[in-house]
Amino acid sequence: MGAELSTAAVLALIAGMAVTNFALRAIPLTLLSRVDPPEIVRRWLSFVPISVMGALVASEVLFPGGATLPPLSNPGIPAAVVAALTFRLSRSFLGATMAGVITYVLLRALL
Amino acid sequence: MSSFPDALKERIPQQESGSPSPAGGFAAGLSAGLPVFLGYAPVGAAFGVLASRLGFSVWEAAACSATALAGAGQFIALSLLGGGATVPATLIATAVVNLRYVLFSATLAPHLKGVSRPARSWLAFTLTDETFAVNITGIRKGMATPASMAGVGFIAWCGWVLGTIAGASGAGLISDPRAWGVDFAMAAMFSALFVALAENRSHVVTGVAAGALVLALHWASSMGVRIEPSWFIVIAAISAATIATVASNGR
Repeated sequence: MGAELSTAAVLALIAGMAVTNFALRAIPLTLLSRVDPPEIVRRWLSFVPISVMGALVASEVLFPGGATLPPLSNPGIPAAVVAALTFRLSRSFLGATMAGVITYVLLRALL
Repeated sequence: MSSFPDALKERIPQQESGSPSPAGGFAAGLSAGLPVFLGYAPVGAAFGVLASRLGFSVWEAAACSATALAGAGQFIALSLLGGGATVPATLIATAVVNLRYVLFSATLAPHLKGVSRPARSWLAFTLTDETFAVNITGIRKGMATPASMAGVGFIAWCGWVLGTIAGASGAGLISDPRAWGVDFAMAAMFSALFVALAENRSHVVTGVAAGALVLALHWASSMGVRIEPSWFIVIAAISAATIATVASNGR
Protein backbone atom coordinates (compact mmCIF):
# COMPACT_ATOMS: atom_id res chain seq x y z
CA MET A 1 0.00 0.00 0.00
CA GLY A 2 1.16 3.52 -0.75
CA ALA A 3 1.43 6.56 1.49
CA GLU A 4 -1.29 7.32 4.00
CA LEU A 5 -4.15 9.46 2.77
CA SER A 6 -5.01 12.97 3.91
CA THR A 7 -8.12 13.49 6.03
CA ALA A 8 -9.60 15.70 3.32
CA ALA A 9 -9.22 12.92 0.73
CA VAL A 10 -10.82 10.36 3.06
CA LEU A 11 -13.76 12.65 3.82
CA ALA A 12 -14.28 13.49 0.14
CA LEU A 13 -14.28 9.79 -0.68
CA ILE A 14 -16.80 8.98 2.07
CA ALA A 15 -19.17 11.76 0.98
CA GLY A 16 -18.82 10.90 -2.69
CA MET A 17 -19.44 7.21 -2.16
CA ALA A 18 -22.46 7.89 0.05
CA VAL A 19 -24.08 10.09 -2.61
CA THR A 20 -23.31 7.95 -5.66
CA ASN A 21 -24.37 4.68 -4.03
CA PHE A 22 -27.65 6.10 -2.78
CA ALA A 23 -28.42 7.65 -6.18
CA LEU A 24 -27.76 4.36 -8.00
CA ARG A 25 -30.09 2.53 -5.64
CA ALA A 26 -32.88 5.05 -5.24
CA ILE A 27 -33.43 6.59 -8.68
CA PRO A 28 -34.74 3.50 -10.55
CA LEU A 29 -36.88 2.55 -7.56
CA THR A 30 -38.48 5.99 -7.49
CA LEU A 31 -39.03 6.27 -11.24
CA LEU A 32 -40.22 2.72 -11.89
CA SER A 33 -42.49 2.23 -8.90
CA ARG A 34 -45.01 4.68 -10.42
CA VAL A 35 -45.39 3.17 -13.86
CA ASP A 36 -46.11 -0.38 -14.94
CA PRO A 37 -43.26 -1.55 -17.14
CA PRO A 38 -44.33 -3.39 -20.32
CA GLU A 39 -44.29 -7.21 -20.39
CA ILE A 40 -40.97 -7.45 -22.24
CA VAL A 41 -39.24 -5.19 -19.70
CA ARG A 42 -40.65 -7.24 -16.83
CA ARG A 43 -39.38 -10.41 -18.46
CA TRP A 44 -35.96 -8.82 -18.95
CA LEU A 45 -35.91 -7.76 -15.29
CA SER A 46 -36.78 -11.33 -14.23
CA PHE A 47 -33.49 -12.51 -15.76
CA VAL A 48 -31.38 -9.73 -14.22
CA PRO A 49 -30.82 -11.15 -10.71
CA ILE A 50 -29.54 -14.52 -11.90
CA SER A 51 -27.37 -12.87 -14.56
CA VAL A 52 -25.71 -10.53 -12.09
CA MET A 53 -25.13 -13.38 -9.64
CA GLY A 54 -23.64 -15.61 -12.38
CA ALA A 55 -21.30 -12.80 -13.40
CA LEU A 56 -20.33 -12.10 -9.77
CA VAL A 57 -19.60 -15.76 -9.01
CA ALA A 58 -17.43 -16.13 -12.12
CA SER A 59 -15.62 -12.90 -11.37
CA GLU A 60 -15.00 -13.59 -7.66
CA VAL A 61 -14.10 -17.26 -8.06
CA LEU A 62 -12.09 -17.28 -11.30
CA PHE A 63 -10.45 -13.86 -10.97
CA PRO A 64 -10.03 -13.14 -7.25
CA GLY A 65 -8.80 -9.56 -6.85
CA GLY A 66 -8.67 -9.22 -10.63
CA ALA A 67 -5.85 -11.77 -10.99
CA THR A 68 -6.19 -14.98 -12.98
CA LEU A 69 -5.42 -18.24 -11.18
CA PRO A 70 -4.73 -21.45 -13.12
CA PRO A 71 -7.98 -23.46 -12.70
CA LEU A 72 -6.30 -26.55 -11.21
CA SER A 73 -4.61 -24.60 -8.43
CA ASN A 74 -7.62 -22.40 -7.64
CA PRO A 75 -9.21 -23.64 -4.39
CA GLY A 76 -12.14 -21.29 -5.04
CA ILE A 77 -13.65 -23.49 -7.77
CA PRO A 78 -14.34 -26.60 -5.66
CA ALA A 79 -15.17 -24.37 -2.66
CA ALA A 80 -17.83 -22.53 -4.69
CA VAL A 81 -19.32 -25.86 -5.76
CA VAL A 82 -19.42 -26.96 -2.10
CA ALA A 83 -21.15 -23.69 -1.10
CA ALA A 84 -23.74 -24.06 -3.88
CA LEU A 85 -24.47 -27.72 -3.07
CA THR A 86 -24.68 -27.01 0.65
CA PHE A 87 -27.24 -24.31 -0.02
CA ARG A 88 -29.21 -26.60 -2.31
CA LEU A 89 -29.40 -29.27 0.39
CA SER A 90 -29.76 -27.09 3.49
CA ARG A 91 -31.35 -23.82 2.20
CA SER A 92 -29.10 -22.08 4.71
CA PHE A 93 -27.03 -19.08 3.55
CA LEU A 94 -24.95 -19.21 6.68
CA GLY A 95 -24.22 -22.93 6.44
CA ALA A 96 -23.40 -22.62 2.75
CA THR A 97 -21.07 -19.66 3.28
CA MET A 98 -19.24 -21.42 6.11
CA ALA A 99 -18.95 -24.69 4.19
CA GLY A 100 -17.49 -22.76 1.23
CA VAL A 101 -15.01 -20.82 3.36
CA ILE A 102 -13.86 -23.92 5.28
CA THR A 103 -13.38 -25.87 2.03
CA TYR A 104 -11.46 -22.93 0.61
CA VAL A 105 -9.12 -22.66 3.61
CA LEU A 106 -8.46 -26.43 3.70
CA LEU A 107 -7.82 -26.71 -0.04
CA ARG A 108 -5.63 -23.63 -0.08
CA ALA A 109 -3.44 -25.26 2.55
CA LEU A 110 -3.15 -28.37 0.37
CA LEU A 111 -2.72 -26.84 -3.10
CA MET B 1 -35.57 4.13 13.59
CA SER B 2 -38.69 4.92 15.61
CA SER B 3 -40.52 6.34 12.59
CA PHE B 4 -40.31 3.08 10.67
CA PRO B 5 -43.32 1.16 11.90
CA ASP B 6 -45.60 3.98 10.72
CA ALA B 7 -43.84 4.38 7.43
CA LEU B 8 -44.06 0.67 6.74
CA LYS B 9 -47.72 0.04 7.31
CA GLU B 10 -48.46 -0.32 3.62
CA ARG B 11 -48.23 -3.82 2.27
CA ILE B 12 -46.98 -5.13 -1.01
CA PRO B 13 -50.06 -5.13 -3.27
CA GLN B 14 -49.44 -8.59 -4.78
CA GLN B 15 -49.26 -10.14 -1.39
CA GLU B 16 -52.29 -12.10 -0.30
CA SER B 17 -51.27 -14.11 2.76
CA GLY B 18 -52.35 -12.80 6.15
CA SER B 19 -49.28 -11.02 7.45
CA PRO B 20 -48.15 -9.94 10.90
CA SER B 21 -47.99 -6.37 12.18
CA PRO B 22 -45.19 -4.15 10.87
CA ALA B 23 -43.24 -4.85 14.06
CA GLY B 24 -43.69 -8.58 13.56
CA GLY B 25 -42.68 -8.23 9.93
CA PHE B 26 -39.59 -6.26 10.91
CA ALA B 27 -38.64 -9.00 13.38
CA ALA B 28 -39.17 -11.65 10.71
CA GLY B 29 -36.85 -9.64 8.46
CA LEU B 30 -34.19 -9.49 11.18
CA SER B 31 -34.28 -13.26 11.41
CA ALA B 32 -34.30 -13.77 7.62
CA GLY B 33 -31.32 -11.42 7.39
CA LEU B 34 -29.27 -13.01 10.17
CA PRO B 35 -27.11 -15.06 7.78
CA VAL B 36 -26.33 -11.84 5.91
CA PHE B 37 -25.25 -10.25 9.21
CA LEU B 38 -22.98 -13.19 9.97
CA GLY B 39 -21.56 -13.13 6.46
CA TYR B 40 -21.01 -9.36 6.44
CA ALA B 41 -19.39 -9.00 9.87
CA PRO B 42 -16.10 -10.75 8.98
CA VAL B 43 -15.91 -9.15 5.54
CA GLY B 44 -16.64 -5.75 7.12
CA ALA B 45 -13.82 -6.48 9.58
CA ALA B 46 -11.47 -7.16 6.66
CA PHE B 47 -12.49 -3.80 5.19
CA GLY B 48 -11.81 -2.13 8.56
CA VAL B 49 -8.33 -3.65 8.75
CA LEU B 50 -7.40 -2.58 5.22
CA ALA B 51 -8.90 0.92 5.63
CA SER B 52 -7.03 1.58 8.83
CA ARG B 53 -3.78 0.48 7.19
CA LEU B 54 -4.42 3.09 4.52
CA GLY B 55 -4.80 5.84 7.14
CA PHE B 56 -8.56 5.82 7.88
CA SER B 57 -9.44 6.37 11.54
CA VAL B 58 -11.88 3.91 13.11
CA TRP B 59 -14.69 6.44 12.71
CA GLU B 60 -13.82 7.26 9.12
CA ALA B 61 -13.89 3.55 8.24
CA ALA B 62 -17.18 3.14 10.12
CA ALA B 63 -18.69 6.20 8.42
CA CYS B 64 -17.69 4.89 5.01
CA SER B 65 -19.35 1.53 5.66
CA ALA B 66 -22.40 3.09 7.31
CA THR B 67 -23.13 5.50 4.46
CA ALA B 68 -21.96 3.60 1.38
CA LEU B 69 -22.80 -0.01 2.37
CA ALA B 70 -21.06 -1.05 -0.82
CA GLY B 71 -19.11 -4.27 -0.19
CA ALA B 72 -16.98 -4.85 -3.26
CA GLY B 73 -17.10 -1.16 -4.18
CA GLN B 74 -15.44 -0.21 -0.88
CA PHE B 75 -12.63 -2.73 -1.33
CA ILE B 76 -12.03 -1.48 -4.85
CA ALA B 77 -11.97 2.11 -3.57
CA LEU B 78 -9.24 1.17 -1.08
CA SER B 79 -7.12 -0.62 -3.62
CA LEU B 80 -7.41 2.22 -6.16
CA LEU B 81 -6.61 4.91 -3.56
CA GLY B 82 -3.77 2.80 -2.20
CA GLY B 83 -2.42 2.54 -5.73
CA GLY B 84 -2.38 6.31 -6.06
CA ALA B 85 -5.66 6.99 -7.92
CA THR B 86 -7.36 10.36 -7.36
CA VAL B 87 -10.62 10.61 -5.41
CA PRO B 88 -12.76 11.45 -8.49
CA ALA B 89 -11.29 8.53 -10.49
CA THR B 90 -11.93 6.23 -7.53
CA LEU B 91 -15.53 7.41 -7.24
CA ILE B 92 -16.20 6.79 -10.93
CA ALA B 93 -14.72 3.28 -10.77
CA THR B 94 -16.78 2.31 -7.71
CA ALA B 95 -19.95 3.76 -9.25
CA VAL B 96 -19.40 1.58 -12.32
CA VAL B 97 -18.82 -1.52 -10.21
CA ASN B 98 -22.03 -0.75 -8.34
CA LEU B 99 -24.10 -0.07 -11.47
CA ARG B 100 -25.72 -3.44 -10.76
CA TYR B 101 -27.64 -1.70 -7.96
CA VAL B 102 -29.52 0.13 -10.73
CA LEU B 103 -30.61 -3.25 -12.07
CA PHE B 104 -31.61 -4.51 -8.61
CA SER B 105 -33.48 -1.31 -7.87
CA ALA B 106 -35.38 -1.51 -11.17
CA THR B 107 -36.21 -5.17 -10.49
CA LEU B 108 -37.64 -4.39 -7.05
CA ALA B 109 -39.58 -1.32 -8.16
CA PRO B 110 -42.74 -3.04 -9.48
CA HIS B 111 -43.05 -4.85 -6.13
CA LEU B 112 -42.84 -1.68 -4.08
CA LYS B 113 -45.74 0.29 -5.50
CA GLY B 114 -47.66 2.13 -2.85
CA VAL B 115 -44.81 1.94 -0.34
CA SER B 116 -44.22 5.33 1.32
CA ARG B 117 -41.26 7.48 0.39
CA PRO B 118 -39.33 7.09 3.69
CA ALA B 119 -39.75 3.31 3.57
CA ARG B 120 -38.70 3.22 -0.08
CA SER B 121 -35.64 5.34 0.69
CA TRP B 122 -34.57 2.99 3.46
CA LEU B 123 -35.04 -0.05 1.20
CA ALA B 124 -32.99 1.70 -1.50
CA PHE B 125 -30.28 2.67 0.98
CA THR B 126 -29.89 -0.92 2.24
CA LEU B 127 -30.02 -2.53 -1.20
CA THR B 128 -27.04 -4.87 -1.63
CA ASP B 129 -26.44 -8.13 -3.50
CA GLU B 130 -27.38 -10.10 -0.41
CA THR B 131 -30.37 -8.09 0.82
CA PHE B 132 -31.68 -8.07 -2.74
CA ALA B 133 -31.38 -11.85 -3.06
CA VAL B 134 -33.04 -12.49 0.31
CA ASN B 135 -35.85 -10.01 -0.43
CA ILE B 136 -36.55 -11.07 -4.01
CA THR B 137 -36.69 -14.69 -2.84
CA GLY B 138 -39.17 -13.61 -0.14
CA ILE B 139 -41.25 -11.66 -2.67
CA ARG B 140 -41.39 -14.61 -5.06
CA LYS B 141 -42.59 -16.81 -2.20
CA GLY B 142 -45.17 -14.15 -1.26
CA MET B 143 -43.66 -13.81 2.21
CA ALA B 144 -41.91 -10.43 2.08
CA THR B 145 -43.51 -7.19 3.32
CA PRO B 146 -41.95 -3.71 3.32
CA ALA B 147 -41.44 -4.14 7.08
CA SER B 148 -39.68 -7.47 6.71
CA MET B 149 -37.48 -6.09 3.92
CA ALA B 150 -36.60 -3.13 6.16
CA GLY B 151 -35.57 -5.63 8.84
CA VAL B 152 -33.35 -7.54 6.41
CA GLY B 153 -31.71 -4.24 5.41
CA PHE B 154 -31.23 -3.14 9.01
CA ILE B 155 -29.54 -6.31 10.22
CA ALA B 156 -27.32 -6.43 7.13
CA TRP B 157 -26.30 -2.81 7.76
CA CYS B 158 -25.50 -3.66 11.41
CA GLY B 159 -23.28 -6.57 10.38
CA TRP B 160 -21.34 -4.46 7.89
CA VAL B 161 -20.87 -1.47 10.21
CA LEU B 162 -20.11 -3.42 13.40
CA GLY B 163 -17.68 -5.64 11.48
CA THR B 164 -15.92 -2.55 10.10
CA ILE B 165 -15.59 -1.01 13.58
CA ALA B 166 -14.23 -4.27 15.01
CA GLY B 167 -11.74 -4.64 12.17
CA ALA B 168 -10.56 -1.03 12.21
CA SER B 169 -10.14 -0.88 15.98
CA GLY B 170 -8.43 -4.27 16.21
CA ALA B 171 -6.38 -3.80 13.06
CA GLY B 172 -3.09 -4.16 14.92
CA LEU B 173 -4.17 -7.49 16.40
CA ILE B 174 -5.11 -9.22 13.15
CA SER B 175 -1.99 -9.71 11.08
CA ASP B 176 -3.68 -11.24 8.05
CA PRO B 177 -7.48 -11.59 7.75
CA ARG B 178 -6.93 -13.77 4.67
CA ALA B 179 -5.60 -16.58 6.86
CA TRP B 180 -9.21 -17.08 7.98
CA GLY B 181 -10.52 -17.36 4.44
CA VAL B 182 -12.34 -14.03 4.74
CA ASP B 183 -11.34 -13.24 1.16
CA PHE B 184 -13.57 -16.10 0.00
CA ALA B 185 -16.64 -15.27 2.12
CA MET B 186 -18.21 -13.06 -0.58
CA ALA B 187 -17.62 -15.66 -3.29
CA ALA B 188 -19.17 -18.40 -1.13
CA MET B 189 -22.19 -16.21 -0.38
CA PHE B 190 -22.62 -15.36 -4.08
CA SER B 191 -22.52 -19.09 -4.95
CA ALA B 192 -25.34 -19.81 -2.48
CA LEU B 193 -27.31 -16.79 -3.75
CA PHE B 194 -26.94 -18.07 -7.29
CA VAL B 195 -28.69 -21.31 -6.29
CA ALA B 196 -31.33 -19.35 -4.36
CA LEU B 197 -32.15 -17.19 -7.37
CA ALA B 198 -32.19 -19.98 -9.97
CA GLU B 199 -35.88 -20.82 -10.24
CA ASN B 200 -35.84 -22.92 -13.37
CA ARG B 201 -33.64 -24.29 -16.12
CA SER B 202 -33.67 -21.12 -18.22
CA HIS B 203 -32.46 -19.15 -15.19
CA VAL B 204 -29.56 -21.55 -14.69
CA VAL B 205 -28.60 -21.34 -18.36
CA THR B 206 -28.79 -17.53 -18.25
CA GLY B 207 -26.66 -17.30 -15.11
CA VAL B 208 -24.03 -19.66 -16.48
CA ALA B 209 -24.00 -17.67 -19.73
CA ALA B 210 -23.36 -14.47 -17.74
CA GLY B 211 -20.43 -16.19 -16.01
CA ALA B 212 -19.07 -17.38 -19.34
CA LEU B 213 -19.30 -13.81 -20.67
CA VAL B 214 -17.18 -12.59 -17.76
CA LEU B 215 -14.61 -15.23 -18.70
CA ALA B 216 -14.76 -14.10 -22.35
CA LEU B 217 -14.33 -10.45 -21.37
CA HIS B 218 -11.25 -11.28 -19.27
CA TRP B 219 -9.87 -13.28 -22.17
CA ALA B 220 -10.53 -10.48 -24.67
CA SER B 221 -8.93 -8.00 -22.32
CA SER B 222 -5.82 -10.20 -21.93
CA MET B 223 -5.61 -10.37 -25.74
CA GLY B 224 -5.34 -6.60 -25.85
CA VAL B 225 -8.96 -5.54 -26.38
CA ARG B 226 -9.37 -2.39 -24.32
CA ILE B 227 -12.35 -2.85 -21.99
CA GLU B 228 -12.35 -1.39 -18.50
CA PRO B 229 -12.51 -4.39 -16.08
CA SER B 230 -14.86 -2.54 -13.73
CA TRP B 231 -17.52 -2.75 -16.48
CA PHE B 232 -17.29 -6.55 -16.86
CA ILE B 233 -20.07 -7.48 -14.42
CA VAL B 234 -22.58 -5.01 -15.84
CA ILE B 235 -21.77 -5.81 -19.49
CA ALA B 236 -22.04 -9.57 -18.87
CA ALA B 237 -25.26 -9.32 -16.86
CA ILE B 238 -27.06 -7.00 -19.29
CA SER B 239 -25.99 -9.14 -22.28
CA ALA B 240 -27.09 -12.42 -20.68
CA ALA B 241 -30.45 -11.03 -19.54
CA THR B 242 -31.08 -9.57 -22.99
CA ILE B 243 -30.19 -12.81 -24.80
CA ALA B 244 -32.46 -14.75 -22.42
CA THR B 245 -35.34 -12.32 -23.02
CA VAL B 246 -34.99 -12.61 -26.79
CA ALA B 247 -34.60 -16.39 -26.64
CA SER B 248 -37.69 -16.82 -24.45
CA ASN B 249 -39.80 -14.57 -26.68
CA GLY B 250 -43.02 -16.21 -27.84
CA ARG B 251 -42.75 -19.13 -25.45
